[in-house]
Amino acid sequence: MALSAYLVGLLTLALIYGVMTLGLHLQFGLAGMLNFGHVAFFAVGAFTSALLSLPPKGSEAYLAAGGQYQLGVGLPVPLAFVAAGVAAGLLALLIGATSVRLSSHYLAVATFAMAEIVRSVLTNEDWLTRGQFGIYNVPQPGRGGPIPIDLYPYAYLLLTVVVVGILLAVTVRLTASPFGRALRAVRDDEVAALALGKPAAGLKLRAFALGGALAGLAGALWTHSLGIVHVGQFVPIITFQVWLALLLGGRGNPVGAVLGAIVLMAITEATRFLGNVPFFEPLTRLNPSFVPSLRFVIIGLMLIAVVRYFPRGIMPERLRPPPPGKLTSPEQDAA
Amino acid sequence: MTGLLQTIIFGLATGAVISLSAVGLSLSYGVTRFINFSYGELLTLGAYLTVVAVSFGWPLPLAALAVMVVVGIVGVLLARQFFDPILERGFLPLLVTSVGLAFMLQNLVRMTFGSSPIRFPLPLLRPWRAGELFLPKVPVLVVVIAIIAMLAVHLMLRYSRMGKMMRATSDNPTLARASGIATARVLATTWFLSAAIAALGGVLLGMTQIALQPIMGWSFLLVVFAAVLLGGIGNPYGAMLGALIVGLGIELGATYIAPDYGHAFAFALLVVVLLIRPRGLLRGSF
Repeated sequence: MALSAYLVGLLTLALIYGVMTLGLHLQFGLAGMLNFGHVAFFAVGAFTSALLSLPPKGSEAYLAAGGQYQLGVGLPVPLAFVAAGVAAGLLALLIGATSVRLSSHYLAVATFAMAEIVRSVLTNEDWLTRGQFGIYNVPQPGRGGPIPIDLYPYAYLLLTVVVVGILLAVTVRLTASPFGRALRAVRDDEVAALALGKPAAGLKLRAFALGGALAGLAGALWTHSLGIVHVGQFVPIITFQVWLALLLGGRGNPVGAVLGAIVLMAITEATRFLGNVPFFEPLTRLNPSFVPSLRFVIIGLMLIAVVRYFPRGIMPERLRPPPPGKLTSPEQDAA
Repeated sequence: MTGLLQTIIFGLATGAVISLSAVGLSLSYGVTRFINFSYGELLTLGAYLTVVAVSFGWPLPLAALAVMVVVGIVGVLLARQFFDPILERGFLPLLVTSVGLAFMLQNLVRMTFGSSPIRFPLPLLRPWRAGELFLPKVPVLVVVIAIIAMLAVHLMLRYSRMGKMMRATSDNPTLARASGIATARVLATTWFLSAAIAALGGVLLGMTQIALQPIMGWSFLLVVFAAVLLGGIGNPYGAMLGALIVGLGIELGATYIAPDYGHAFAFALLVVVLLIRPRGLLRGSF
């Protein structure tokens, strides 16, 4: 029972990362935009959904929850969930509007910096977020209802599977749609796409906003699965774990994105058991952060190794073969 | 009066550390054309190794010099292992590799030294006193050292043969190779210089912060990025200008706008500048 509960929690988390990876798939996999601040959208989604669904101040439920926060709207969780996507999408729209025109490096650093600004706002505005203390008692949909409490994680997993399935189906459709094709055209050759009349900046902005919205939905899923939200959860390494998941799964393939997140979670969770290796025990006693740090060293090594030896990922992008006939690719011309 | 003077002088010291670190980062960008996200960890490494050397009884200046050489060599070795083999594959693999390397190095430091802060072994220096005014020695020293180091980099780039080769490679690598410049040697020298400057930056950062943490370089990197982007990537002179603006921005923002948002203010400044001049203040190569 304990093991299966652990696996259920792990799979839920992996699927939530899968949604975030789908967002990055739209932004980087299709549009080629270097978003190094993905965690900001995740955080905004989590806080939006938590604050909107918490019981309003002064209500009975507020007192029962210990009354630690200033804002609570008491919306039903599904509405709060949608609002989380909207809020994160709007933030992405705002950030994107200032930076989609930046060239790749500037975009990477600008998004990275903006994620830090968001984190610093969430940390310092503790009237809203309770800063480092965090908010507990975030409502969990259906908890305390007809489902027995020890089966609740299974029910939440089921809910997550359904939500992620829908989001994946939508993303697959988007990827194959004219919108997805135009994005790939912009990614592969922006000048050529512009010459064909594709509004490159507008397309990238839309992809960026949609990707941000997906990360926001992932944040909402996460906060309601834990019932807790605090700033310390949203560190920059999350962004790069999502990058690793995307590169591992295969850039440009939405199914690969979700699969990559699941594989990544399996691998990183496996490293948790490094703490049980007897060889490390004296070192752990000397330095409690030895094994946790070792796990991050392994994540770093994986990033390097995947990029170098496995650049196409588990499920490489599927491109439609060129139509038969007169059209030839430049390589064929050269040959 | 003393308060204002001290704020300004500490602000200048921060600016000087940013400035020096930004120069090292732009040097490597100028030649390799990618932003090295693991650069901050070289600062951390410099600071921590200096603490180790001092704990073996070395005097601080000697320890710092030795650490600069050691970290310089480490920088070359890391680049050989991780960056040079994929240098031809475009910047995305390089960028992601440098992030992975950053996490590796940062956590190796944490594995070795633990997460809790370590005190930088700075001897107690009495402030200079002029009547009612107290002038602390450490920030002045930091500014002077940073200026000397940057001057040395400037003279090297301007007048030495290697500096000219570096500038040529930065301008146009293909043309540089065609005219007989050994780009591999230029690359190695650049990595060495960039890492050694990072180590010195780390020592100076340690002198200003006193408390060292494994994450210090990674957090400081953002500020350095802001300076580098403000000035225009790949241009060390632009980086110096950018650092001055960012340093002042942080201090003024923290003092007069909101104390918790010093760094956020610097990034906001960066975003505004990027909107007006998407390629930074001084564009191009050095």
